Amino acid sequence: MAAKSRRRPGRARRNGAETARPAKTAKPRSPQREYADIFTHNPIPMWIFDLGSLRILAVNAAALRHYGYGEREFLGMTIKDIRSEEDAASLEHYMATARDTLNSAGLWRHRRKDGSTIDVEITSHTLHWRGHQARLVSANDITERLQAEARIRELNATLESQVRERTQQLESVNRELEAFSYSVSHDLRAPLRVIDGFSQALMEDYAGRLEGSGSKYLTRIRATTQRMGVLIDDLLTLARVSRRNVRRGDVDVSALAAEVVKELSEKEPAREVVTGIQSGMRAHADGGLVKIVLDNLIGNAWKFTSRTPAARIEVSTERYDGVIAFCVRDNGAGFDTQYTHKLFGAFQRLHAESEFTGTGIGLATVARVAALHGGRAWAEGETGKGAVFRFTLEEGRPDE
Amino acid sequence: MSDQIILLVEDSPDDVDLTMRALEKNNISNRIVVCPDGAVALDYLHGRGPDGVHYDNPLPQVVLLDLKLPKVDGLEVLKKVRAHKRTSLLPIVVLTSSKEEKDMVESYSLGANSYVRKPVSFEEFLEAVRQLGLYWLLLNQAPPLPDDE
Repeated sequence: MAAKSRRRPGRARRNGAETARPAKTAKPRSPQREYADIFTHNPIPMWIFDLGSLRILAVNAAALRHYGYGEREFLGMTIKDIRSEEDAASLEHYMATARDTLNSAGLWRHRRKDGSTIDVEITSHTLHWRGHQARLVSANDITERLQAEARIRELNATLESQVRERTQQLESVNRELEAFSYSVSHDLRAPLRVIDGFSQALMEDYAGRLEGSGSKYLTRIRATTQRMGVLIDDLLTLARVSRRNVRRGDVDVSALAAEVVKELSEKEPAREVVTGIQSGMRAHADGGLVKIVLDNLIGNAWKFTSRTPAARIEVSTERYDGVIAFCVRDNGAGFDTQYTHKLFGAFQRLHAESEFTGTGIGLATVARVAALHGGRAWAEGETGKGAVFRFTLEEGRPDE
Repeated sequence: MSDQIILLVEDSPDDVDLTMRALEKNNISNRIVVCPDGAVALDYLHGRGPDGVHYDNPLPQVVLLDLKLPKVDGLEVLKKVRAHKRTSLLPIVVLTSSKEEKDMVESYSLGANSYVRKPVSFEEFLEAVRQLGLYWLLLNQAPPLPDDE
């Protein structure tokens, strides 16, 4: 297509005639002339100089163009005249030592007629030329290449220093975060303990003197205090998860899930929940983090089936995007699908505290753990019909 | 049993009161010596008084040590207590608000015998103190006192 459109319509008609016509050449050139052309018309600047006097004996058109001299001018010079001043001394040393027949003489700085300096890569070799002991030089101008290289080096250095700077900033932010969660862990919990402790003391020691609502208020103070304690603990878990390096190993997910269920039923032995845990579920993941995810998801299922008769929780695997997804399914309260996007945000809650308690940090932690492993977490549900939460612990491979 | 001393290293008067209350509620009637910072605790344990006077303080059955303390913090107290011949085997329970893994690991590696996190709920704290008393004052065999230097 491209070749056809490039052809000019006028010439197409004469196409056959053109090749048939004999070439209009002058008399055949001698082999010597042809060899001379290799020098004269070579696109690389070349010249020949006398090894004794250093006078230029011959020069090609590319050299004249590049250095800005006329032929007559160039032939009246020695090779010292095209050296930059800083290279002159090393030239003498070089001439004294380099007498071999062929070498790649390396990098030099040359001066053009207009005074500008260029970087050239010189290749030369010794030859007999019209009775002279001489040297044929080809000069490849690499000024632009060197400049580009210098620019790249400069850019790399800038980039490196930027990376160093950003890393330092990040490290200091991390340190601050660490100090922050440390002081949250210490300083924010301590007053809560005191509030709870003395409220309890009041209830015990002054029970007789507190009227009905008085002790109710104290009960509410204590409940709120403990809720804030849970909130702080959840926040700390989220912070700890975020700055943790994933340490992958072989994880028995089925065993972890069974452990979580056991802990939950020990805490609330009166609850009757039918649980089904698929056997043999394994993952190559960080066991501590997977435990946190299961604590949250199975804990949620446990919580949101608390008002469901014949409560059921299932933990199983499915295939999603070519990888294993772990599913925690319940037949509990479910959630309003129009708020699905809010589920995994920190502090987002879809149920009133009076219905189901919670801090709204658990699912944010789940999403964080999945993301740390390269996976994701998502949910499906319907009000009154239960919910399914799924998470993967590796990057999806949708093509497989 | 009740002639044995419990050394409570705790700077917050509120926490001191609540811990005393929890001990009382659990009928633990031992003498409680309270040190409001790490320096006082070390002076007590190593028998150093002001002006270099040496006191022959009886060693406690167990030390309940907070980590965040003014002057000399809990970890530093642990380090110094373990380095000193008289107290190198002394049972020490770290009793702290901190849930930081770092604190736990450092406490154990400096020779803490136990690490207990103070729960927010006073009821849970009561239970923790009850179990601590039962274990460290009754069940546990304390190490022999070192010979006098």
